[in-house]
This record gives sequence, structure tokens and C-alpha cells, in this order.
Amino acid sequence: MSNSVLVIGGGIAGIQASIDLANMGFHVYLVENSPSIGGRMAQLDKTFPTNDCAMCILAPKMIECYRHRNITVLSYSEVATVEGELGNFEVDVLRKPRYVDETKCTGCGECAQVCPVELKSEFDQGMGNRKAIYKPFAQAIPNIYVIDKKGTAPCKAACPVGLDIQGYVALISQGKFKEAFHLIRQKVILPATVGRVCTHPCEAECNRGKVDEPLAIAALKRFVADYELDTRTEEIAPAPRTRDERVAVVGSGPAGLTAANDLVLMGYGVTIFEALPVPGGMLAVGIPEYRLPKEILKREIEDIKKLGVEIRLNSPVGKNSLTLDDLWQEGYKAIFIGVGAHKSANLDIPGEDFEGVYHGISFLRDVNLGKKVAPGEKIAVVGGGNVAIDAARTALRLGSREVTIVYRRSRREMPANEEEIVEAEHEGIKIQYLVTPVRILGEDGRVSGMECIQMELGAPDASGRRRPIAIEGSQFTIDVDAVILAIGQSPDLALLPEDSKFQVSPRGTLVVDGKSLATSVPRVFAGGDAVLGPATVVQAIAAGHRAAIAIDSYLKDEMIPPEQEPLPTITIEDIDLRGKERRSRVAMPTLAPEERLTDFREVNLGLSAEMAIEEAKRCLNCGGCSGCRECEKVCQAKAINHEMKEEFLRLNVGAIILATGFDFYDISKLGEYGYGRIANVITAIEYERLTSASGPTYGELKRPSDGKIPSNIAFIQCVGSRDFKNMPYCSSVCCMHATKEAILAYEHHPGTKSTIFYIDLRAAGKRFQEYVTRAKEEYNITYIRGRPGRIDLSTADGNPIIWYEDTTTGETKAFEAELVILSQALVPSKGIEELASILGISLDKYGFAEIPDKLFSPLDTTRLGIFACGYAHSPRDIPDSVVQGSSAAGRVAEATAAKIPSFVAGGV
Amino acid sequence: MNLDDIIKETKTFYCLECGKCSSICPISRYDPAYSPRLMVEDALLGLEDDLVHNKELFSCLTCGACQPKCPSDVNYPLFIQKMRAIASSNGEHGECAHSGTIQSLIRLMSNPGVEQRRLEWLSNGYRTSDQSEVLFWVGCAPYFDPIFEDLGFKVTDIAKASLRILNFLGIEPMLLPNEKCCGHDILWTGDLDTFKKLAEQNAAMIREAGVEKIIFSCPECYRTFKEDYPNYVEIDCELQHISEFLSEAIEKDGLRFKESKKKVTYHDPCRLGRHLGVYEPPRKVIQAIPGIELVEMEQSREESLCCGTSAFTNCDSYSKQIRVERLLEAKATGADTLITTCPKCQIHFRCAMVNKAEEKGPDIEIEVMDMVNLVANALEGESNE
Repeated sequence: MSNSVLVIGGGIAGIQASIDLANMGFHVYLVENSPSIGGRMAQLDKTFPTNDCAMCILAPKMIECYRHRNITVLSYSEVATVEGELGNFEVDVLRKPRYVDETKCTGCGECAQVCPVELKSEFDQGMGNRKAIYKPFAQAIPNIYVIDKKGTAPCKAACPVGLDIQGYVALISQGKFKEAFHLIRQKVILPATVGRVCTHPCEAECNRGKVDEPLAIAALKRFVADYELDTRTEEIAPAPRTRDERVAVVGSGPAGLTAANDLVLMGYGVTIFEALPVPGGMLAVGIPEYRLPKEILKREIEDIKKLGVEIRLNSPVGKNSLTLDDLWQEGYKAIFIGVGAHKSANLDIPGEDFEGVYHGISFLRDVNLGKKVAPGEKIAVVGGGNVAIDAARTALRLGSREVTIVYRRSRREMPANEEEIVEAEHEGIKIQYLVTPVRILGEDGRVSGMECIQMELGAPDASGRRRPIAIEGSQFTIDVDAVILAIGQSPDLALLPEDSKFQVSPRGTLVVDGKSLATSVPRVFAGGDAVLGPATVVQAIAAGHRAAIAIDSYLKDEMIPPEQEPLPTITIEDIDLRGKERRSRVAMPTLAPEERLTDFREVNLGLSAEMAIEEAKRCLNCGGCSGCRECEKVCQAKAINHEMKEEFLRLNVGAIILATGFDFYDISKLGEYGYGRIANVITAIEYERLTSASGPTYGELKRPSDGKIPSNIAFIQCVGSRDFKNMPYCSSVCCMHATKEAILAYEHHPGTKSTIFYIDLRAAGKRFQEYVTRAKEEYNITYIRGRPGRIDLSTADGNPIIWYEDTTTGETKAFEAELVILSQALVPSKGIEELASILGISLDKYGFAEIPDKLFSPLDTTRLGIFACGYAHSPRDIPDSVVQGSSAAGRVAEATAAKIPSFVAGGV
Repeated sequence: MNLDDIIKETKTFYCLECGKCSSICPISRYDPAYSPRLMVEDALLGLEDDLVHNKELFSCLTCGACQPKCPSDVNYPLFIQKMRAIASSNGEHGECAHSGTIQSLIRLMSNPGVEQRRLEWLSNGYRTSDQSEVLFWVGCAPYFDPIFEDLGFKVTDIAKASLRILNFLGIEPMLLPNEKCCGHDILWTGDLDTFKKLAEQNAAMIREAGVEKIIFSCPECYRTFKEDYPNYVEIDCELQHISEFLSEAIEKDGLRFKESKKKVTYHDPCRLGRHLGVYEPPRKVIQAIPGIELVEMEQSREESLCCGTSAFTNCDSYSKQIRVERLLEAKATGADTLITTCPKCQIHFRCAMVNKAEEKGPDIEIEVMDMVNLVANALEGESNE
């Protein structure tokens, strides 16, 4: 038998019941699903009929409740399961993670000041904003912040590295470029490089793309990284060497550099062995200068070296030089292989060995290493990937007059970046689709032409793309003096010993364990193009991270830490798009086409700071909290913990009180009122937030369309209530709250005219009728009996026009107001059906608690031991809710008293 | 039926006297004194005589704009229909438009002895069959042609286009040579005796024809057969509006059209839209034609504005004002053509444009066309009309 009680719902009814029970000696668990108790009353400006300030009379109760030694407030929590019976209920309460430690947070608000994410405030009914880390309102109890993590933003979900994209975009929008850089640099090395060459899968998933165009995420990353390179003043300090072990990395491409970067920061000694005379892998020798200036790459690789990574150039690892065995002999404890995929595929057609036939990869490498290459006057490039485009655009810049790309499928199947294809076309490169070479023609051993054949697309092949099939008899010849082949890449695995036990796939790539990237040979790990075949830079970086963690775990003889379960990805349907207008994406300034072909100057010029900030502001903040961690930096109480998890709490209680209050009926489907269509038609609760001094307009009654203070306001009653097609019942409070709001409008601006359109005026409570009489006599309020059926918009100034019949005269009229307030129907709280099923109680058809015996046990639900009070029970105002709260406390005491020994003994 | 029965059947007793109906009613907007609510109030107060002899009783368009919005679920159009039956038996008939020509014709047709030559418009290009399982209901189109000669179109062109479409789809429907008026206008002006006669004669002819399906191009005939005839006679057939038939053909049989570049808007007739809930099939058909851009008017679907006259009764300046509002709305969409699926609506719109020359007023000229004419012109392989 428990003398504890569970109260569900921290509104005024729940607070009253809790205090009454606590004063009687019960221990109360008050569970509230929002971050603060207070409920709807906290949202009101004043209460009728006394026009008391709602918060002034509520706050003392909230504090009394929170500080009562017999009450435990479990805010931001929900009831998950309920079992048992009166006297002995077992309840599981889900405590949702605040990501802020309740025992440490002092409610100072420094965090919210620096949070870059603005979201619509629920407390202000969407009329104002709050930050992702927030308190719902100033007087929130508990006075503790909460971080709103809605889910995983689709950009982060799409990024192979899981970069906190929303985070750095949010920081850019605030002008915090250095902070943005540091956030990026935690997960992505070489950000200025990556920002230039990444295939940006994030942009394809960006939800803004479903509104207008996706954010220019890669361009923003580039801007931040360039800014950092231009303005950095501190030197990068070497990472402390805390571990004895040394790791060898073969290949200084992005995979190897990432693994090295991570391992050196973990305290290991790292040496990279690079076969070529320059570091960077494909970044250095594959990507042309006009896309990625060598200077940028060089500086960013220098930054990694400054951490303490040793890079040995001209040091191939392989059969004829340093072997893997040699590395073990030299004392390396683990090896990471990141040799990339630098072997170009052959076309296997006659004439491939003529002079003037190049392979794209080696062609680009030679150019990038500074060798003189003069490819030819008229060139054909065979292939449709980025290498083909790079080779074509490079050849143009080396002086070739005519460059044609020949690709065997159609444009839609072309794997190259769309932007690259477009730029190639701008530069005058012709692309022939559905064409494949059959033979290279030669004269005196030199290329003189290429015979090709037309293709058509058949059924899809293993890659999912439609297979090209040659069309019989469609051969034709093109006139070229050089051919560049760029049809495929694979890793050069010559470094592997003859008798190696390395498992190699049929495609010629290294086979590794998916989680640890361990090869079939102990202590050797691999990642990047060497494993994936030709893939992307960011996938290589992701592999580098994964390998570093695996190597670290291996060297410490520990398990690889399990990966975090990510929150569900946010889709466009989850986002409140109100107020978002379509805006185009920022356009990357580029070198004029005429200027491009004369040299290898970078074509994309980069965004300015103003452009970057404007673009960053387009972000929809899909994930809520962006993960930028600025809050953590300023919290002096060290209360922030982004890794917090949800927890379950098991309670044993004797009785349960349901006090979950109400929500607002969705009236946007009632098209006749124009809500959502006409800006100056708002709901009563939205208006309440406007009149509140703590509201989004600080109590200024600014109407939505133009901020004008209306001098002529209309209220429409029974919107969605007393309506067989919506909610047939009366919501109980609207006649009075409309009167109150009209009175407040006058008090804010004496002389304001208010007109209330009603059917019946329900003023049944104590002193309510007198309140209405005063409203008519002293506050310039007119009541018109007539239920409007239509609201139009006046063409001139945003004024709504109300059509109604004055039922006292029978005349149909049009009434123009400056602001229209709809008294919308109130319904039981969202989620009540689910909660009722957890509690095992029945609801009536509108969602109010089913009360079997309304006359003699008016608070008893269909399950003994569970009682309902407040609006969850039935429509009622604040005083009546308080009364029912106390009654519920009394009823709980009555129901459980007989079973509590101390009560039976002598009474209270 | 007496007043009490009517109140029960139409749920008028739920009325809250809120006046929402009046505020939505298009007539009330132009005639502030017109109040649907007050008529219900009279009924509830038992003021049968006042109601029966109220001239305004015949002004209601029975368009049903009030019905989806009435919070008490009162079936106002049905209330009016039943009240008019009592009024009619008390000698009240409303003001018949066009000197009562149409009402007289309908009553003439109700005489079982009358033989008609109502298929003269049917020329050789159209294939019909006495053996078909499908009956095409022509309606009063052959009578409207001479009466509304001044409006610049032939109502029988709607029947012709419908037949062309059906023929194109391989259907040679039956046409009843002695089809009687469905009785819609007669029913809605309260003459139940005549209506019963018409219904019985039509039902007998259909029974004898042994058809399984009747296709309508007129929503008023369609509504009458579907909702009103069952109270009097039995029609054991599937009933369909041609837009529903075409919409099915597009979805199931892959019916495709030639390109036709046109910007159009669509007017939901009251009987097809609010009365029968058929909003999407005509839109689907219109948008299935490549090149057509369909722009909705501000008041569409359930909120569609009536064309302004019902049952050729009490057609007055308010009717005209409502019609002009609708035409202006159509023009405001920027469309070149106003498409509708009701011959009556088309007649009324054209009347407003033709008779506009008498007054100075806003420009309301717009091409009006029935959906079937739009479709017939877009049939693959067919030459344009």
C-alpha cells in the first residue's frame, strides 16, 4: 500500500491537487510532459472576471508546488506504463533527455544568448521565436533550460562522416566563422579542399531543397575554411605524444591523412609513406588546379604535419622497395593502407597503344606534377566520370582547340558532378552521348582518328543503370589526334607481397571488415578508394576516422566502442514552414568563361562573408539543436550534456489523478474563417500572447500583417464549437475570455472598438454577468448576435471583412475590422488517446474522461483508483479546475485512507 | 407532407438561429433582407401560412452553399423543396422566367399521350443502338435550342459531343425517342403531381428498354434520378455523370487526348458538386488533356458560387448580380475559357453576357464551354469541330 500519488499534468488543476495532497501528508509525483509546469494558465495575460495578471497568481502556486517537500516534480516526462490497482499501482515514467543537468543548471540563460538556432516558440503559439536551448517562458518551473533535439537533420544523415552541418551553418549565420571552422575541423580534415571538391550528398537531401533550393553547403564550408586560412594568427601546436606505439600509414590521400590526423591526436607516433613526390593522393594529382589550387591543399596538409605527423615522400611501399615486413621490422605496431585507386582501366580496343592515347589519371597526374604535356589539337575523352571532365577541361587549358567527351550512356546516367558537366559545356566542350569507341585509327603509329558506334539503352545492369547496347551498322569516325581514356579506376595493389594473405575482391579492391576496416591480415587496416574502388573524398575521410578508432582500440586491447543510435531523420513534413518565403540559393561567383581557358586559375571564386551569412540564414534548422556546442562553451555551471539519454523511473503509487488539460482544435480546415489565408485573422490564444507583456511583442497589440495597432477589433465565437460537423459541445470559457480580451484591448488603447459576434452569451459563473455588463457600458464593446459564415479580405489594407446576419434585425451585412480573433474550440490534450490506453481508462467520443457515475462519483474514471479533474474531465474555467483539483485530492484521500494504517489509527 | 414532418426530416429543429446560413447565402449578400434563417424560424414557430405565401420562398437557389457550413446540420435545400410543395398545393408558384415557357413545356410532356420529335438534331455522324446496355439521357436540350437561340450556342451540341465521345470509346448508346423531362424544375417548384407523372413514365420506358447503365451530361437530371426518383419509382440501373465515366476511362483504360493549349477554369455546378459530391472527376478529365492549364476560381468545390438561377424561377436582378460576380471571378483567374459540366449553368452565364449590352458594367466576356465539348475536340484522330 503506497501513500504516494501520481498526478499527470502540471496545469492549475494538477498543481492544486498536488499541493492539497502534499499538505495532507501524501507524497506526490507530478509528471508534466512539457519542460515547465504551469499549463495553459501561464500563457494567459489576465484571468476573468477579476482581470488579475495570470502569472502573478499562478507563479506562487508553481513555486509552492515545486518546493514542497512532499512533491517531486518530474518535468519533461511522460507516463509510459501503468499496472496494478488502487493502493498499489506500478508506474514507469519516461524522463525525456533535457541534455541539461537539472542538478547543475542555474537558469542563467547564457546558453540561449549564444545559441544560433531560432525555432517557433510553442508557448507563444508560433507568434514568436525561441532558441534551440530554451526555457519555455521566463518564470518556468523548474528554472532549467532544455535543448530541443528534434531529430537528425537530413544533411548530417546523408554525410558519410556525419558532419554537424546544421551546426556550422548556424554558426556562419551568426558571423561566428572561427567557431564554424573548429566545428568542421573536428570531423573533416582539409576543409578548404573538401569544400571545393566534395560531391555534397548533403545538398541532395537538404530539406530547403523542397521549399526552393538546397543550401550551398559545400560553398559555405569552403568560405569558412578560406577565411580561417586568411585570418589565422595562432600557430598549430603539435599534439602531445602520450603513447609509445607508432603507426604506419601507406598513402597520403584523404583516407591516410585522416587516419594519421586522428591517431596523432590520440597520442600515437604516425608516419605516412607516400610514393609520389607530393602529398595528397588524388587531391594533389587527380584534381586539376582550376578546381583545387595546389597552394590550398599544401597549406592544409602542412596543418596536419604541424600536429606531428611525419610524411615521407618518394617512399613507395611495395615489392621492390620498403615492404610491409620491413615496416614491422622497423617497429610499427599497426598499418593503415590508403593507396587509393590510381590504376586506370583499359578499353581493350585496337589502337590503344598508338602514340597520342593517354589515360586520364596519368595525364592529370603529369599535369599536376608540373610536367609539360601537349595533348593534341583535337581530343576525344572517353568516359563520363569526374576524371573524364577534369581531363577534358585540363586539355582545353593546355591549348587543345577542340575537346569532345564521348560517353556510352545518356546524360542522366553520367556519374560526374552535375556542376562539372555544366561548366564543361560552358567552356565549349562537346559531349556526345550514347557513343562508344570501337577502334582507334592510327597513321605512322600516331592517333589519326577514332571509330565509334551509336548505343541505345537496354535493361539495367548490376549497377542499376541501363546497359548500353550497340546499334548495328551505326559506326562513324571522329577526327581526333589524341584520345584520353577515363573509363574506370582500380587500386594498384602491387604493394602486397606475392604470397600475401590479403583478401582481394573480384574488382581488385581490398576486402575489409565493415566495422573495423581490418584486412584479412592481422594488424593491417585499409580504407578509402583502395577498398571502395573509385569513390569520394568524404567517404575516404569517414574510413580514416573509422580505421583510427579501430587501430586505437586494437592497440589498447579494447572493444571498439559501439556506435550511437542516431535520432530519426527529419523530413519536410516535420517542419513548420509558416512564414518561410521562397528565396534562391546564393550563386557562386565564377571566372568569366572567356578568362578561364587561358590559364589554370581557380574558376569558382568563393562567397563573400555577406553572401555566406545570407545563405546560411536560409537553413531550416531541421534537427532543432544544430550540434554547434556553443552553449557548452559558455555554461559556467558545466550543466550541458549533449550525450544524455532518456531514462525510466519506476514509481509505486496508491492512486492516479489525470489533469492533462486542453489543446486547441485545428481550425485551418474551416476555410470560411480564413485562418491561415488572411494574416489578420488569429486565434484567441495567439491574441493572448500579443497582449502579454512577456509575449513576442512585449504586450504591443501589433496585428500580424503590418504591425499596426488595430482600433477596430472583431471576435467570432464558437469557431469549431457548438458545431455538429466539428465539436458539438460548448468549450465553456470563450464567451468570457473574448469579453476579457476586448476589455484588455481597450485598456491597452482607450477608445478601441470591439465587436463580439456570438450566438448565446455564456456568463454563468460568479460575477460573470456583471463583467459582461461592464464591458458593454465602460469598454466600448458591442455584442452582435449572429454567427459569421464567411470572411473575405479587403483589397486595400489587409482588413478582414466579416459577413454575418444580425439575427435581431434579420439583415445580412458586411463588417470590416482591422483584426479578427477567432474563439476556437478547445479539445482534450493531444496524445490523450494513447495515455488513456496506457492508463486503461475509457474516454468519451471527444476524448474527455469517461465518468460512469456523474452524480455521486463525479471524478471517478472507468478504472478504480484513477480520477480525472480539470479540462481533461470536461470543459471548465480556472476556478472550476481548481475546485476539481482539490476535489480529486479529497477523493484520493478518501479512496486510499481506509488502507493507510496511520490514517485509520487516528485520522489526520 | 405537413410542416411537422418536414421539420423532422430536414432536422430543422436543431437550428440555433445563428444566421450562418444567411451570411453565406449569395442572395443574402445582394439582398440583405433575404434571410434563410428567418424562414426556418417561421417554420419552427408554426407560421405555415406566412411561409407558404412568402414570395421569397421561391427565391432560394437551393444551391446548398449553406448546408456544409450549418453547425446544426439542417438540410435547408430539402426544406425549401418540401415547403414549396405545400406552397404549390396552395396555389403559389413563384415567378416563372421566360413567361413560363419551360414550365409549360414540362407539363405538356407529362401528358402520357404526347408524342415528341426530339431526336431531329441527331445527324448521321452519330451511332446509337436499340440493343445497347447503355442509355444516354439527352434531357431537355432539344427544347432549349429554339428557346435560347439568342445565346449563340446549341445545347444539343453537348449531347452531340457526348455521343461523339461515347462512340470514340466504342459505345453506341441507346437514346429514348420519347424521353420525358426528368422533372427537376417541376419538383423544385413544388408541383409533385406533375413530377410523379414524369417519373413514372420515364421509369416505365427505362424498364422496357432493359438498360443497365444511364449516362447523363446534365447534373440536374443526374441528381433527380439519383436522389429524388427513388422516393417515387424504381430505377434499377447504374447512374453516372459523363465526367465520372470519362474519369474512369482515363484511369482504367488509359484514354489519352491530343494536345490543346488553353488556360481554363472550372465552375462546379451546384447539383454535381455540393448535391452529389462530384468535384474531382471533371477536374481529372480536364487536366488529362495535355497543354491545358487549370486555374481554380477563388470560390471552388464546396464553396463554389451558384450560377444564380434555379428552376427558371424568380430570376431577378439578384440572380444577375450573382452571375456577374461569378463571371468576374472566372476572368480574375486569367483563364480564356470557363468550363462547366451543366447546360443550365452555361445558359445562365451566356444570358448574362448577351444581355450585358443593355447596361454599362464590368467586362464579363469569357468563352464558356461544356467539358464534353472540350474533350470531344481533343480526341485523338478526330478533327476539330
